[in-house]
Amino acid sequence: MNESHGHHPKSKGSSEQRVEAIEALLVERGLITSDVVDAIVETYERDVGPMNGARVIARAWVDPEYRSRLLDDGTSAVGELGFGGAEGEHLVVLENTEDVHNVVVCTLCSCYPWPVLGLPPQWYKSFAYRARMVREPRAVLAEFGTTVSDDVELRVWDSSAEVRYMVLPLAPDDATGRSEDELAGLVTRDHMIGVVR
Amino acid sequence: MDGVHDMGGMHGFGAVPVEDDEPVFHEPWEGRTFGLMIATGAAGLRSGSIRPGIEAIDPATYLGSTYFERWARSVESGLVDAGTLTSAEIDARVDAPEPPREHQDDTNPETASRLTGALVDRPRAPSGDDVPARFDVLDSVRVKRMAPAGHHRCPRYIRGATGTVTRLPGGWPHASGDESPEATYTVRFAMIDLWGTDAEPGWLFIDLWERYLE
Repeated sequence: MNESHGHHPKSKGSSEQRVEAIEALLVERGLITSDVVDAIVETYERDVGPMNGARVIARAWVDPEYRSRLLDDGTSAVGELGFGGAEGEHLVVLENTEDVHNVVVCTLCSCYPWPVLGLPPQWYKSFAYRARMVREPRAVLAEFGTTVSDDVELRVWDSSAEVRYMVLPLAPDDATGRSEDELAGLVTRDHMIGVVR
Repeated sequence: MDGVHDMGGMHGFGAVPVEDDEPVFHEPWEGRTFGLMIATGAAGLRSGSIRPGIEAIDPATYLGSTYFERWARSVESGLVDAGTLTSAEIDARVDAPEPPREHQDDTNPETASRLTGALVDRPRAPSGDDVPARFDVLDSVRVKRMAPAGHHRCPRYIRGATGTVTRLPGGWPHASGDESPEATYTVRFAMIDLWGTDAEPGWLFIDLWERYLE
């Protein structure tokens, strides 16, 4: 991977120095406050992340009516659990079955369903993932330790316009009788992107 | 624009680099960059959206930068283009760094609440059925051959290929910033129609604005 820490060739200083200068100038002029920036950073470090999506998935596993609403209108169904907002204005949930596996990528940049998964991990934004997932998905999945057999239909979703996608993974075989909290603990970010089955 | 950011299908990037238990932001300045992107956008201090600014970075720099370095450039160019800050004053502050004078602790709390509210209450939604749509589910559509200069969301690897409409997600303003909504389509392509006879079996789904299709 060639994504080294570079410096701006045509402007002074590193990104870190320039961002610090920009924030100082904006704060000094009363255009923003550092408190607001702090709040945004903390929101995405603490409150918005894959634990939200995991709650959605666990609910769908225990409640067939919720599952049906989730597949019919993802935005509204995740809203029932209190999740929504930026990069989640139009959420579509993709259902994995014994015969179908879904996986999500954004080849042009980093489209990702923030309200349910938080901000994307580095690998999702990497040049290798963006370049390869649409062309050789099974090879990429194998790097994640995921084997999708040839009789399973593979669907790759390149998030490109306004819809954001999340995968509803297969429930574990022994899901029956387990609590929603316990099930949520089994769901990972990688399940909901689809790199793990 | 057809830039180096349009990576679908390219060779040569190697294995996907996976980091276990990675933090949301690897360094504090990355979080500040993200926070500034949201806050300056919500406050109307920045022109354009983040992605055209990223795509305008020259290819060598794009490929040699990290994700948040590219974001930082785009935040800065958006602020400069909007006339909020000049490159010269940012340069000067980099030369003589100091914390903000007169920290605005007395800024209207409503402003702060409006900005953080922007995170969870963006009133954006598809326009739905009232936007005219040329195509319907199960229609066969071909992606136009084209070389659009402005911001768009039509990657090169699907151009010229024929697929099938599977869903109509509704009308949205085009990514270039056009205000009136335009129909979008989820289109399914067979991998073999994108990558040839050696393709892995499977399907590729992508959402496309009507202007890309014929």
